[in-house]
Amino acid sequence: MRASEEQLRIWMIGGLDGDAEAHTALLRALVPMLRSFFGRRLRGAEDDVEDLVQETLMAIHTRRGTYDRTRPFAAWAYAVARYKMIDQFRRTRRTVPIEGLEDILIAEGFEDACAARMDIDRLLGGISDKQARAIRATKINGLSMAEAAKAGGMSEVDVKVSVHRGLKALAARLKGDG
Amino acid sequence: MQTDDLIRSLAGNVAAVSPHLVERRVTVGIAVGAVVTLMAIASTLGFRPDLAVAMHGFTFWMKSAYTISLGIAAIAATVHLSRPDATRAQWLWLLVIPFGLLACVAAGELFRTPIDGWLPLWLGQSWKRCSIFVAMLSAPIFIGMIWAFRQFAPTRLRLTGATAGLASGACAATLYGLHCPEASAMFVLTWYSLGIGLAALAGALIGPRFLRW
Repeated sequence: MRASEEQLRIWMIGGLDGDAEAHTALLRALVPMLRSFFGRRLRGAEDDVEDLVQETLMAIHTRRGTYDRTRPFAAWAYAVARYKMIDQFRRTRRTVPIEGLEDILIAEGFEDACAARMDIDRLLGGISDKQARAIRATKINGLSMAEAAKAGGMSEVDVKVSVHRGLKALAARLKGDG
Repeated sequence: MQTDDLIRSLAGNVAAVSPHLVERRVTVGIAVGAVVTLMAIASTLGFRPDLAVAMHGFTFWMKSAYTISLGIAAIAATVHLSRPDATRAQWLWLLVIPFGLLACVAAGELFRTPIDGWLPLWLGQSWKRCSIFVAMLSAPIFIGMIWAFRQFAPTRLRLTGATAGLASGACAATLYGLHCPEASAMFVLTWYSLGIGLAALAGALIGPRFLRW
């Protein structure tokens, strides 16, 4: 079970005020989130994923003073994770196969907005079932388009289109919710 | 190391963090750098001899108001960029206000001066060294800002370097005004701005190397 944005923020603020227990709870809760964040982007490089998770945890710890308590927490944490990942690519000067960069870019905007603002389940309840399943498979469980298609008994194009339309619908809903 | 062990060791070191950590560190960094710059001016260039009189005049405050307002906008932009979730520059557009106002004053000056007086108005006595001094004097303040950033998490390194350079250039130009007796708006608009711009350029060039984390 993933911790909600609200819970993460409470832990984060507790840690900022010097509460070691809240801080520990926060870091523990971030581990699976970061694993899936990096796992989705560096498919098949488990060691790198764990390295990045640790680097990100350390950065979140040492640079926690840059978190503005009035702003969404998940967006801040994912921004640190993203920076650490790009920095690692730069350091190792290695190209990593990223399938569908466009999808990832869309997913990132979506991640920031949605992780920060509301519960994923409630959100996905608001769009069509097929789109919600496609998004859940690719964006949350980290399957590739092909894997999601096989698992869901749909064609790959169908998955892609569903994800795209679903994200669009979600974005529109988020804006409307503002 | 196992991730669990890492978390345990990090959790053993949870000091309370001030909500104003960013602002506080930037202030300290700039203040310490500014003291060094001020000492450099005092020991090498010297303050203008008529400083006490000049401080009652319009041009002194025009110069200060110009460089201080540039500095405030650049510092605000830099503080904003110190957080990882800042993806684009904020506050920088405010720079056009002091620049525009000073340009109006400069235009008024030109209007009142016969054409053969324009060149001395523009070049003054010290145009050759003004910009380079401003850029050089910005270095201690820039170093102070880099120090402040050691606990920050900027993700747009080049942009952050540029705004930090701009801020340190504007602060240095303000202090340089204590030495420089030039009085025309046209002079300040050109050579002070050029010096501040050089500092911003230097910041953009070396920023990424020092701001990485």
